[in-house]
Parts: sequence; C-alpha cells; structure tokens
Amino acid sequence: MSGQRVDCKVVMLGKESVGKTSLVERYVHHRFLQGPYQNTIGAAFVAKSMNVGGRIVTLGIWDTAGSERYEAMSRIYYRGAKAAIVCYDLTDLSSFERVKFWVNELQNFEEHCRIYICGTKIDLIENDKSRRQVDFHDVQDYADEIKAHLCETSSKTGHSVDELFQKVAEDFVNYSDFQVQTEPKGVDLTQKRDLSSYSCCHH
Amino acid sequence: MSLKSERRAIHVDQSELLCKKGCGYYGNPAWQGFCSKCWREEYQKARQKQIQEDWELAERLQREENEAYASSQGAQGGQPSLGFAKFEEKKSNEKTRKVTTVKKFFTASSKSMQKKDMKEPKAPSPSLTRQYSIETDRVSKDFIEFLKTYQKAGQDMYKQCKLFLEAVQHKKESNIEELSEFTQDFYQNTADKLQMYWKVPPNKVEEAMDQIEKFIMTRLYKHVFCPETTDDEKKDLTVQKRIRALHWVTPQMLCVPVNEDIPEVSDMVVKAITDIIEMDSKRIPRDKLACITGCSKQIFNAIRITKNEPASADDFLPTLIYIVLKANPPRLQSNIQYITRFCNPSRLMTGEDGYYFTNLCCAIAFIEKLDGQSLNLSEEEFNRYMSGQASPKRHDSDIWDTDTCPGVKQMHRNLDLLSQLSERQERIVTEAKKLEKDLIDWTEDVTREVQDIVEKYPLNIKSSSQALASIDSENVEDDRLPPPLQPQVYAG
Repeated sequence: MSGQRVDCKVVMLGKESVGKTSLVERYVHHRFLQGPYQNTIGAAFVAKSMNVGGRIVTLGIWDTAGSERYEAMSRIYYRGAKAAIVCYDLTDLSSFERVKFWVNELQNFEEHCRIYICGTKIDLIENDKSRRQVDFHDVQDYADEIKAHLCETSSKTGHSVDELFQKVAEDFVNYSDFQVQTEPKGVDLTQKRDLSSYSCCHH
Repeated sequence: MSLKSERRAIHVDQSELLCKKGCGYYGNPAWQGFCSKCWREEYQKARQKQIQEDWELAERLQREENEAYASSQGAQGGQPSLGFAKFEEKKSNEKTRKVTTVKKFFTASSKSMQKKDMKEPKAPSPSLTRQYSIETDRVSKDFIEFLKTYQKAGQDMYKQCKLFLEAVQHKKESNIEELSEFTQDFYQNTADKLQMYWKVPPNKVEEAMDQIEKFIMTRLYKHVFCPETTDDEKKDLTVQKRIRALHWVTPQMLCVPVNEDIPEVSDMVVKAITDIIEMDSKRIPRDKLACITGCSKQIFNAIRITKNEPASADDFLPTLIYIVLKANPPRLQSNIQYITRFCNPSRLMTGEDGYYFTNLCCAIAFIEKLDGQSLNLSEEEFNRYMSGQASPKRHDSDIWDTDTCPGVKQMHRNLDLLSQLSERQERIVTEAKKLEKDLIDWTEDVTREVQDIVEKYPLNIKSSSQALASIDSENVEDDRLPPPLQPQVYAG
C-alpha cells in the first residue's frame, strides 16, 4: 500500500537537469538512469528505510520540479521538510547560483530544515578536469557560512551517494532526539485536558 | 508562439502569494490572504474581540435592565428568574441525558465487545442516529469488528470516538477551522494514547488511525464538507470557470511529456482523469487521497511509456496540471480544503499520498495564477485565447479536441491519411512517367552509342593462327602420372 510510514521528509531541490532524480534513483535502486526501466513507475517520491544505530528511520524523499516557472510554488513543497538536499551541477556555474536562491528561501522560511549542498556529476570532471565550473573550496566556504553539509557526488559511479543519505538519516536521529525533549510535548497536555474537560463538565 | 523553449518563468508577484502579515509563508485567499498560522491568530483575536464586545453589550443591557427594574420597583420581578429557572432546568436535563449515555457506555465496554452493546450508546442521541445511511452503518460495523483485534485499547478507542462525535455535535455552529483543529487534536491525542498508554506498535497505530478516521469522517462528512459558513462553494465555481476558460491550453504549451497518440497512454490519461473526478464521490479524506494517488500513478505510467524512463517531478507536475485542466474535477477547492482540514496530518505531511496531494495543490495554484508568460505566449495572444476570439494552432495530432467523439476524430484522421495517400500516389505516377521516359531515352542512348562504336571499329575478322589444339596439350607432365586405378576383386 502507498501509506507507508515516513519519519523524515527530505526534499530534493535544484535547477532542472542537475540530476536530482538520478541521485535518488542511484541511492534507492543502485543504478544509473540510462535507457528504459520497467520496475519503477516514477522516481518522484520514494520512501526508504535505513538503519541508524539500531533505529529504523524511513526517509520520504520528495523530488521537486526545478523549472523556474514553478518557483513560486516551491515553498509548498518544502514546508515541513526536515532536510533539504540542494543540488547543483559541477559543470554548470548557473546551477550553483540557483542553489543560493533555495538556501536563502530555506533559511528564511523553514528554519528547522537542515541543508545539504550536493554537487553532482563529479564523474564528468574526473575524466576531464577542465570541465569543472564550480570550485570546491568556494562552495566549502559558502557551506561553512550557512552551516550546511557539502558533498560532491556522482550518480553514475555512486560516489558519495549512500554516504550523503546516511548522513541525512543520522542527523535526523540526532536532531529529533533533541527536539522531542524541547518541543511538542507541552502542547499535548493541554489538548488532553481539553478533551477530558469536555467529558467531565457533563457529569 | 515558440513552443520549443523549455524554460519559462511564472510571473506572479511573490508578494501577492505571501501572507499579509509578512511572516513569509504563503497566504491563502480562504484565510483572507493570511497563512494558516497568522489567520488563526487573527481569527482568535477577532473572536476574542467579538466575545469581549458581546459581553460588554450584554453587561450594558443587563445594567439598563437593572435600572429599569429598579425604577419599576420589582413590578415584573418574577420574569428574569423564571427564565433563568427554565434555562437551569434545560441544562440539567441535558446533563442527565449525558450521564446516562456515558453510563451505558461504561457498562457496555466493561462487558465483552458485542455488537449490540457497542451500538447501544448511539440510541440516546437521536440527532446523531437519525441521518445514518446504510453506508454509515456498514462502516460502524466494520469499525467495531476491527476494534475487536485491539481488545482493551479498542474499547477505549471506540469510547473516545463517540465522545469526540458528540463533542462535534455540540460544536456544530462553530467555525470550520475550529472543528478542523479539534479533529486534528483528536487524531494526535488518540495516536499518542495508543502508542504511549496502550503500547500498540507503530504500524498497528497507523492502521487504527486509518480506521478511526474512516469512522468519524463518514459521520461528519455531511456537516463539514463544503460547509455553508465558508466560501468554499464560491471558490469551487471560480476554479471551475477558470479551468473552463483555459480549455485551449495544449500539452505542448505546458511541455507535457505524454504522447496521447499511443493508445495505451491515452487509456491511462483517461483513467487518470476518471480517478481525479472520482475523488469528489468519496467521503473519507484518506479515500480522496487514494484517488489522487491513483491518478498520479496513472500519470507516471503514461510518462514512463512515452519517454521510456521513470518520470521525475519535472515531468510529473506539468502532466498533472494538464490532467486537472482536462478533467475539471468537481468541487476541487472544497475537496482540497476538506482533506487539509480533516485528514490525519501524519499522512498528509510526509507520506507518498502527501506528496501527490502537495503536487495537486501546486497544480491548482499554478492554474489560478496562470498567465501568458507561464505558457510562453504574449499577453495579447493569451488574452485573445482567453476571450475565445482565437484558438491556438495545434499540432497535427491535436487538430481535433480530445473531447470530440472518437469516431469523428478517427474519421478526420482517416481523411488526413487519405489525402496524404492521394498526394503520394500522384507523386508516384509522375515519378513513374519520368521513369518510363528515362527508360526510353536510355534505350535510344544505348542504341546510338552501339552504332557509334560499330561505326568506329568496324568488324574485322582475322583468320586464327593456331588450329584447335587438344585440351591436354598444355599438360606437359601428363606422362609421369601413375596409371589409373584398376578395379580389383577381393575374396569375400
């Protein structure tokens, strides 16, 4: 059934054709999109369970449309997300410029969402160093500045892909343990009182 | 009109979409341009103010009355107290009625879980029982059956649901947002209780919550779907009109990666449309969500077959927009609102259903804000299409609207084919004539050339110098060959 329980919502952000879908596909099905596939009907939403220190965590990975014409709607997508993987193409400088847009949005409107900056298509650079358009150290500085995690991946070879998602899940576990103590419980008590006070006042 | 370019920008002023309070979230016209949180705050404030005002008014009236009463020296002294006594009486009546309900409840639940016992508590509250349909009854029976597997926790759940339903009955007049919040709290509390107190494993909690949602929403549906207190209905009509006005939008304009000429794909498109339309007929939020999910799955299949690879969100969203435009699902806004208000939030926020639901919300937002630029049309073109003065040139396969009768469509396709055929035939005839001419020319050419050559090199027969030699004359070494084998007879 489609109603699988999901603990952590992860949104994939990034310009069109930077390889968001491929990244997810590589992580979930351990393969690179080339030619026809019959088993999956779509890579837009995937739920993936993983083991983090003995605890099972299910990541719900949301792919988003990167086209600029849906930009105005993107906030609907990442509402309530616990993590955002913002992708850029290492061989395309303009795609990194767009990263800054999303990071900015996330910082302003979804403060509990942790940000992971992810350079894609590193395999293209390994073959030909001159194709690199985005310098690693520049991005590292930027990532440090916004307190984001940075990695460079290849969906073709699988380079750093599993590590990225493992990190997302680990951070979620560590973070949510902290949040449980601080956040929601206070609300519950009052709500319970509401209910019981109803049943009492008619006795 | 260049449909080739893939990237376009939607030109909606961000500020129009944002919450009026400037908190950064998106506002919603349903909440007067606020986001849900600010609207709630604003609403509470307004309500507090209203209550305060009412109270002040009541106090003033009371004071005036007191003064009048004082001046009339208690001539009509009995009146107010009588009224109050009546009120008191009514209240106590209600109380006793409640008490019996609850009592019956306890006795019922302390015994074994029998259907009869379980159903009994309904009786004292006629306002609830009156409108039960067959479906509702069936749902309750299923629910009770289901709860049996939970034993004690099941009894408690049933009790909580009943209490909740009664509470809602009393809140009937209150604002829909309050009811929504009340329901959400109920989901939250029940799930927490099941997990913490009854120690039910998480997957069973999930299952139970689905059943609870089904049970209570089947009953509440009538009251809370598209309620009169909101302008949901008005908005439904607006969206419907808007979609109707956009009938001319083609898949090409939206860059939809679905080729409806493939029969399999066009079947899926039809199924997707059916699913999204079916959403309106369901009563439970989860079932409505299931319709959206079903529709989305069909879309994914259609894209996969067209493109021969799994669809990404970049393919999916435009296609969903296209499907919504084609389907024009009834009461779209009401359905969205209903799901938002009364669906179990854990499902809506993170799961797969939630993903598709979010996409549908996006699609509707896109349709509402759609303008020429987001379709790569000039403002002027867009306006002409919108007003129906012109209709855009369509691709070959789309000359005939997909809404027209398939027979007519087929006929036109055949006519097209025929005209293409006759054109080709003419071409063949001319080519054949040319070929014939070429052939004739060629024979003439060849004859002429042969004659030329014959003339140039006249036939000159020389007598051969060498007489016919024996075939073997060249084989000099023949003599050395062994004699041919002779057949020999062996004794046998």
